[in-house]
Amino acid sequence: MKILVVDDERDVEALFRQKFRKEIRNEGLELLFAFSGKEALEILEKNNPPQVASVFSDINMPGMSGLEMLDIIKDRFPQLRVNMISAYGDADNYRKAMRSGARGFYTKPVDFESLRREIGEILRS
Amino acid sequence: MILINLISLSLLYYLKKSSGAQEFPERLHRYFKYGMIAAGVLIALGISNAPPEILFELLSFVLVGAVIYLMLNTPELVYLKTLAITPLPIVGVKLLEYLVRTISPAIFEIVENYLDAAGVFAFIWAVTMWLNHRKQMKEIEIERIITKEQERQLRQTEEQKSQLELLVAERTSEILSQKEELQHALDHLRATQEQLIQQEKLASLGQLTAGIAHEIKNPLNFVNNFSELSADFLHEISEEMPKIPDSPEKENILDLLENIKSNLAKIRHHGSRADSIVRSMLMHSRGGTGTMDPTDLNALIREYSNLAFHGMRANPNPINVDIQLSLDENLPKIKLNSEDFSRVILNLVKNAFDAMREKLSAKNPEYKAKVEIRTRDLGDKVLIEVEDNGPGVPDQIRDKLLMPFFTTKKGTEGTGLGLSITHDIIKSHEGTLEIKSEEGKFTCFSILLPKSTE
Ligand SMILES: [Mg+2]
Repeated sequence: MKILVVDDERDVEALFRQKFRKEIRNEGLELLFAFSGKEALEILEKNNPPQVASVFSDINMPGMSGLEMLDIIKDRFPQLRVNMISAYGDADNYRKAMRSGARGFYTKPVDFESLRREIGEILRS
Repeated sequence: MILINLISLSLLYYLKKSSGAQEFPERLHRYFKYGMIAAGVLIALGISNAPPEILFELLSFVLVGAVIYLMLNTPELVYLKTLAITPLPIVGVKLLEYLVRTISPAIFEIVENYLDAAGVFAFIWAVTMWLNHRKQMKEIEIERIITKEQERQLRQTEEQKSQLELLVAERTSEILSQKEELQHALDHLRATQEQLIQQEKLASLGQLTAGIAHEIKNPLNFVNNFSELSADFLHEISEEMPKIPDSPEKENILDLLENIKSNLAKIRHHGSRADSIVRSMLMHSRGGTGTMDPTDLNALIREYSNLAFHGMRANPNPINVDIQLSLDENLPKIKLNSEDFSRVILNLVKNAFDAMREKLSAKNPEYKAKVEIRTRDLGDKVLIEVEDNGPGVPDQIRDKLLMPFFTTKKGTEGTGLGLSITHDIIKSHEGTLEIKSEEGKFTCFSILLPKSTE
């Protein structure tokens, strides 16, 4: 089961890999990382339908923002689950993300327990 | 002889008549009256030819002489000089005639013709003088009219001048009061401008603060997340450790791991400190949201002072505090943004706790920490006071207390934003915050909130 994490901060990879170490080792979770919206779209477009079960994406990124990427993904792969993660826990971003079809909305600092529950759900489905 | 008295009479009559315009003193009027009576009597005597004729004739000359003397020697009558000397030759000739006739009638017979001729000349002189006098009088009259006109014009000018002066004074005071008003308006404008600049500065500081806070938030999250993760891993490691046989190396490793664990706890602690600062900064810079609703202020104070107390008890370094509420139970509902205003109460009470903790740690066995919260209805305003018996605030820092990032709390305690946020919230409610304090005795925060009339 592949999950794509999109964030312009490279250390997000180390953080996620360590946080979900057990899931990666024992439950078949495979984490893919993209460090920009563009890179994320390239990964998704390698296969159609994409081999990714879910996307977790930062909103505030240089270049294409997470919300722009969300619109493109929803346009091309309407079935793909996309969750947004933002440091700006403001109502405006939340509304925009939800209107564009995001599945969930997480604010930083990320509550990893709820993230773990969500990923667990994806793994079991 | 009758002629002489007629001269006296007409002179006196003329004098009396001309006094109308000239306003002679009373004394002169008396003289005129008596003179005229005397002249009248002498004329009557002259007509009746009653003896002694010589005496009456002499008296007639004395009378006319006195009248002429009076006219020539009285300052008020000096302008009638020409008139006074008009009958003089006639009187002179008549006097000479009288004298000659009285002393020697024989000589009189001889010179009578000459005297008659002199009488004619005296008459011509008198007519000339009379005409001269008339001319003079006319000139004087014209002069008088001119003077009068000039005086009138002068008076008019004077009047206009005083009117103008009055007008000028009026205008001057008007201008002065306008100037004062303008000065006032200018001062007000300056103050407003200064406030605007200050607000502008604060607004840009707020934006800067928000920007910085956001920039710091991401790396800070990594610090906190990775330290948490490492702590988790250490926990797993310590679960695995018993499976390894004991050895001096293991001892050393366990010792080192213990150090790492405590270091991570410190990283975590300081990380969350920084996180709370960043969160305060973001809160501080965020624009006003939320609505103003009629709120039971007393209930809000009860709830949040209680919350502050229990929050304090649950955190490190709890203290024993006596919280006294003296709330005005007749307080009407006040329009408040209760979410914001609850932070005011929380901050002020928390601030009081922190101040008193300082005084408690100064090891004073007598000291009992006490916070008193009061509310009072002041008519158009509501007073809220939070008073502690802590160490007080020195005068020199009292003004700085409300500035962002100013803190007296040592080391890890404060962000320096609590009171600044409190002040901002009170201002957004159009209220004022005043700090009264006596060092070593008390600090009292007084909030005045306007009661909305709606
Ligand atoms: Mg980002």
